[in-house]
Amino acid sequence: MSTDRLTIVLDRLLPGDPGTGWPAAGALGLAEKAHQMAVERGDADRLATILQALPSGFDYASEDVQVAALKTLEADQPDDFDLLILYAYGVYYTDPRVRDVVEARTGYPNRPPQPQGYELPPFDGRLLDKVKQRPPFWRRT
Amino acid sequence: MDALASPPVDAVIVGAGAAGAAVAWRLAKSGLSVCVLDRGPWLDQREAANSRDDWEWVMCTDHHPDPGIRKAPADYPVTADDTPIRPAYYAGIGGSTLHWGAHFPRFHPSDFKTFSLDGVGRDWPIDYWDLEPYYDLNDQIMGVSGLAGDPANPARAGRAMPPVPLCAGTQRLAEAADRLGWHWWPSDSAINLDQDGLGRDCCNQCGPCGMGCPRHARASTDITYWPLAIEAGVTVRPEATVGRIETDSDGRARSVLWRGRDGTWHRQAADLIVLAANGMGTPRLMLHSASAAHPGGIGNSRDQVGRHLMHHPTALVSGVFGESLGPPAGPFACALYSQEFYETDGPDRGAMRGYQMQAIRGQGPLGTALGGYVTRLDWGRDHHRQFERSFQHTVSLTVTTEDLPEPENRVDLDPQAEDVAGVPAARLSYRVGENSQRLLNHGIERTTGWLREAGAVETKITPLSRQAGFHFLGTVAMGEDPNRFVVDPAGRVRDCPGLAVVDGSVFPSAGGVNPTSTLQANALRIADLLAGQTPLTRGRAEAGGASS
Repeated sequence: MSTDRLTIVLDRLLPGDPGTGWPAAGALGLAEKAHQMAVERGDADRLATILQALPSGFDYASEDVQVAALKTLEADQPDDFDLLILYAYGVYYTDPRVRDVVEARTGYPNRPPQPQGYELPPFDGRLLDKVKQRPPFWRRT
Repeated sequence: MDALASPPVDAVIVGAGAAGAAVAWRLAKSGLSVCVLDRGPWLDQREAANSRDDWEWVMCTDHHPDPGIRKAPADYPVTADDTPIRPAYYAGIGGSTLHWGAHFPRFHPSDFKTFSLDGVGRDWPIDYWDLEPYYDLNDQIMGVSGLAGDPANPARAGRAMPPVPLCAGTQRLAEAADRLGWHWWPSDSAINLDQDGLGRDCCNQCGPCGMGCPRHARASTDITYWPLAIEAGVTVRPEATVGRIETDSDGRARSVLWRGRDGTWHRQAADLIVLAANGMGTPRLMLHSASAAHPGGIGNSRDQVGRHLMHHPTALVSGVFGESLGPPAGPFACALYSQEFYETDGPDRGAMRGYQMQAIRGQGPLGTALGGYVTRLDWGRDHHRQFERSFQHTVSLTVTTEDLPEPENRVDLDPQAEDVAGVPAARLSYRVGENSQRLLNHGIERTTGWLREAGAVETKITPLSRQAGFHFLGTVAMGEDPNRFVVDPAGRVRDCPGLAVVDGSVFPSAGGVNPTSTLQANALRIADLLAGQTPLTRGRAEAGGASS
């Protein structure tokens, strides 16, 4: 499967925002990786079929026309579109360059949850002072 | 069929999940020889993917709770074209506890008597107090953190460990509930919060419990019950796919035919066959095991097997806050709950029974974008703004409703697909009933108000979570009336001597809370009855039962 169309689609789905530092998914060169992820899960043929369902001329159309075509696909073939979104968002948000942006923009560290975990203060029993004043209200049988 | 015969045992159990583990351990402790078959493998949770950079991708694909997305070799096919709720289960030694959230509430006393109290559903042939000592015993083995004293529930023994900590988002919910004058309480959680407890590491608040816990802090039966059961002499056979329950000409269950990983067929004879394959897998096997003595399937002479399927239809309302709530720390499904609207009460609901509201913490970046149980973020030019507005700014509440048993909601067989052992796909036919829908509507309104009171600047409603088919209940129900209930109060299949059921299939009613602690307690109770033991009574839970 040529990844040219997938690159265009990724840029329409996740177009980036230069003002805040978010990169566009296609421009990051993620189409090949997305395709490989689909191969590994046995979804490559279905993904190719979904992309082929876009109208002829899609690749050379204006951005507005491409967005409209994707909205039509989303409305007409929601399950197929969900699969496309899975791979688009999946390849984007697991890319270390995007994770760096996530960290820079939100403070969420670019690391997996384990082994470090997170710290939370112990449960503060004083929070329950009001609820504890309530008499039992479960229903007797 | 030609098959290798294994030495007969006293009891063979089909399914190594929450219920199968409990009943296996209890039967072995009573002196029975026990063999357990499960189609899934042993999994090493120390290797769970939440230490990998691609952990979220794994969570959304290979470890997804929906077998249709996960595509694991051990999964059996499920036809879910005729239900708005997708199935969620896991095959492996430990079953769905390998991927659960470990929220561990108990049923209320009223949940066992819905017909007597409210004229809806079906009464259990036992009550809360019959199960209480088994709840306590099960708590000891699974290891429960939490806090006794909840006014929404009967008094219970002190929890072994303190509650799971709240995070910024869930603490806001607690404070808002106080302002509303509503009940809330920290969750009972099958999670180890003790640095030195249970021989397992303490939870380090990493978040995605559903991926498996490399620290073994979150309980699952592969690390709680199964070591004890094996120590008691139980033989566990992983990757053993059951093809049929075999009965003799008199209709008595005699053996289980199963297929090993290498394709070899085996026959395991036993005096007692126990089904613990969940409320979807158990009726599937019973219907498939038709014979001359059971032409419509085992136990199905009155066309009741597979009917009355109950889920917990669940809505989710997410609150988006204007300021950051910090990283998604803490077990995602365990923080706090409210049972303000749990009991039948109040004409404004227009429905009987009730629902629980349960806090769900935020997700990671990919989970936030894809949504999962809630709505995904839009694609396009506004995506990145939406992401920054939602990620680390969101906490959600479930509306977990009590479903009522309706005969048209069912599990049956779909001959268009079959698994490696030739068993047809489970086919789900299900509609959300009018009562459940009214409860959902009421709960959505109340949770929206709760989140607004907590300071949410925006709320997003998922009216019915498509991926919330975690609980399959009621399909082989237990009761006194042989015309209405497939199994008797001891879990024995009425039409088929030698066969019993112990999983969520036997629930006459579903309650409005997660069912695992109740189905495990009931499995322990049934095990005592099947083994000829005197059932525990209140105050007789075995101290130190886990090591006795």
